[in-house]
Amino acid sequence: MQEWDSYTDPRRLLIAFFVLISSILWGGTALAGEGPYSSTYRPRPAAPVAIIDASIITGTGAYLEKASLLAEDGKITAIGPAIAIPEDAMVIDGRGKWLTPGIIDMHSHHGVVPLFAHASLRDHNESTHAVRADVWAEHSLWPGDPSFARSLAAGVTTLHVLPGSHNLIGGRGVTVKNVLARTVPEMKFPAAPHSLKMACGENPKRVHGNRGGPRTRMGNMAGFRKAWLAARDYKDRWDLYRSGESPVAPGRDFGLETLAGVLGGEILVHIHCYRADELVNMINLSHEFGFRIAAFHHAVESYKVPEYLKKDGICAAIWADWWGFSLEALDGIDESAAFLAAAGACVVIHSDSISAGQRLNQEMAKAWSYGRRLGIEISKAEAFSWITLNPAKAIGIADRTGSLEVGKMADLIIWSGDPFSTYSLAEQVYIDGALMYDRADPETHGQSDFELGYSAKGAHQ
Amino acid sequence: MIRRSFVAICLVFLAIHPVLAEDILIKGGTVHTVGPAGTLTDVDILVRGPLIVAIEANIEAPPGARVIDAANKVVVPGFMHPHSLLGLSDVPWTADSNEHSAEGSPFDAAFDVRYGYNAGSPLIADNRRHGLTRSVVFPGRSGGIFRGTGVLIALDGAAPAAGPMVARLADGGNRNVAWAKIRMIFDQVRGTAPGAFLSPLNMRALVPVLDGDRLLALQVASANDIRQAIALKRDYGVRLVLVGATEAWLVAPELARADIPVVISPVDNTPRGFGSMRATNSNAALLAEAGVLFAIAPAVGTHGSHHTAHYVSQYAGIAVAHGLSHDDALKAITLNPARIYGIDDKYGSLEVGKEADIVVWDGDPLEVTSHPDHVIVRGTEYPLISRRTLLRDRYRPR
Repeated sequence: MQEWDSYTDPRRLLIAFFVLISSILWGGTALAGEGPYSSTYRPRPAAPVAIIDASIITGTGAYLEKASLLAEDGKITAIGPAIAIPEDAMVIDGRGKWLTPGIIDMHSHHGVVPLFAHASLRDHNESTHAVRADVWAEHSLWPGDPSFARSLAAGVTTLHVLPGSHNLIGGRGVTVKNVLARTVPEMKFPAAPHSLKMACGENPKRVHGNRGGPRTRMGNMAGFRKAWLAARDYKDRWDLYRSGESPVAPGRDFGLETLAGVLGGEILVHIHCYRADELVNMINLSHEFGFRIAAFHHAVESYKVPEYLKKDGICAAIWADWWGFSLEALDGIDESAAFLAAAGACVVIHSDSISAGQRLNQEMAKAWSYGRRLGIEISKAEAFSWITLNPAKAIGIADRTGSLEVGKMADLIIWSGDPFSTYSLAEQVYIDGALMYDRADPETHGQSDFELGYSAKGAHQ
Repeated sequence: MIRRSFVAICLVFLAIHPVLAEDILIKGGTVHTVGPAGTLTDVDILVRGPLIVAIEANIEAPPGARVIDAANKVVVPGFMHPHSLLGLSDVPWTADSNEHSAEGSPFDAAFDVRYGYNAGSPLIADNRRHGLTRSVVFPGRSGGIFRGTGVLIALDGAAPAAGPMVARLADGGNRNVAWAKIRMIFDQVRGTAPGAFLSPLNMRALVPVLDGDRLLALQVASANDIRQAIALKRDYGVRLVLVGATEAWLVAPELARADIPVVISPVDNTPRGFGSMRATNSNAALLAEAGVLFAIAPAVGTHGSHHTAHYVSQYAGIAVAHGLSHDDALKAITLNPARIYGIDDKYGSLEVGKEADIVVWDGDPLEVTSHPDHVIVRGTEYPLISRRTLLRDRYRPR
């Protein structure tokens, strides 16, 4: 088995090669134009580990009673009712426990706007102009945010950290492994695509209404169309240059480079958008300019238009039961996830909250049970994909994590009991096969430099 | 067409409104009385008018009584939120739907939310169908340290009763300024210091607090500030409840000795500032161990303090996951807030003579996958319908 973190890893070299070539061809846009900012994440050393006789939810919609899983060299190498366990593997008795994929928090602001309310740490909204496609959340992200360790204790192994929603186009999001680190590249999920955060509705027009606009929803739309028109023109000019039809290299523009990266399919679009009418406006916008939307976030009214989302393969990232805090959220219902799932649309449960983000399993369980109470039968195993495989798909890493399948990263949670219960807690959390959190062992309890000397390790739980 | 619409509107109106008073007999189930009788099985509960009139085995249904079969179900008091915004705002993030804040007006201590409280707010019906039957409603930000007087409500449309005086320490400037300000104002209200820091109408509103007739609900977080609050009670004799109280567990024995109750959130485990560096999920369990009277609720200003105020049950369950007993968790969302706010003579447990706030659940109410089947507030059963269930039914997949 090859070490993913080794610099001699052929896959890594291959990716580096592609990054290099595309950077030359594409003014640094391809693979998010990361260049010097790309991931330096190294999985922690991990001995082989086998969890045996557990109740397993795979994240792909399957439930395995009394089954086992083996992880070696950071990857899942076997899963099933009877697997061969090497002699050197550490064996964990999974009887009475539940084993699931690590949770993926698809709408996080960890590190870019910590709960710690200090004005100097509010780094999520570059609201100096309504279109700031040039900014990257990872250049704001503070790895010392104590929230990362809180999420880890709750089973969150991957986070998609986004800029805020003040701008029509808020900048690039970043996907990170939930590890204590000194720098952002040390956390970055290797070769994960960048995302683009957009926002429709109340926020951009409220924030920019009295400083240059947009001031209205139609102004929002006009702002989007103007930005995407420029992006298409920029991409065309680069395409002409690349094909040799134009001899002069166009000038580089970081914002347009991001948008062109979306048009080229390398950057995934995530849109903060609540109302059904606006969701469909945004879908129409994507058709006008030829880009794909990966997910709508806070899609409170997505239950009204599930067929539109299904047709375009767009995930609806929603709260289980939040509603009404703003007017565009007034029509939120408890059965959204169940209605979307029943229509065959992709559901993601998110929180946008450092607190609720520590209970994404409970949020998912609520959404599942509201549907069930109405007679919409969805299996627990399927519902679990709302916080694992579905977000992995929407942020472009489902080939490597999000479910318990052979060959995937061993990002795992061992739960004290059924994760649909309020009383169950994550007992152990593994990232790339390494035990990163053990509720019984305070030594493993993450403590950022910031908290050192203020509180004891693990005292937050 | 018009006539059909009229009939439909009447039906909706009838559906949202309760069945008129009749005897209600709840048969069987696991009954958590939260009172001295503890948890009972094989008892029935008879409700007449607004009151519980009998809790005993094999009660025969009076003629015309509505009978609720609670076999295999769980019967508990309706839950209480100790500091919500219910009835004061339908959309709290906007200035267009704000009856909770006096900011920008000459009012702070003299602000009183009883005038703007709207018992018909859709938030009331929606939280009621999730098992919430009581709340204290807090005023929001005033610009000053005192936010004004809240109300005590039952989620049944009745007129509210006077609640506590609400204050938030962090609105008073830095800690030295804020504590000096409170003490100076109190001295002036008592007449032991000259002058009036607040306007006469705001000063007058604090007289009942200094007389001990009105509870002061003070929002603080740090252990340091909690110690200052204990000293405030000692020096001025005011009745206090501390809300937030993130670091209460660090001073739990002192709180118990001073007989000061607290309202905490068991999910409050991440520092919000240097005054809450030692936030922990175990706050509730540690306070219980030290004998402090406490209630559980989502934090002030969070979603769980308005649209999902019913989260009190989930949060009580979370406290159980972090070491609190199930019995203590149920008390923390029923009898304890009732005691803190002085309504435990009529609400907070299932006892004969108390008002009948009773919810029949399809399972353990502290589990997020459980739901109420019947909700009774002061003797009246309410249908499980709200604006949101009407939306649900309109868009339900066929």
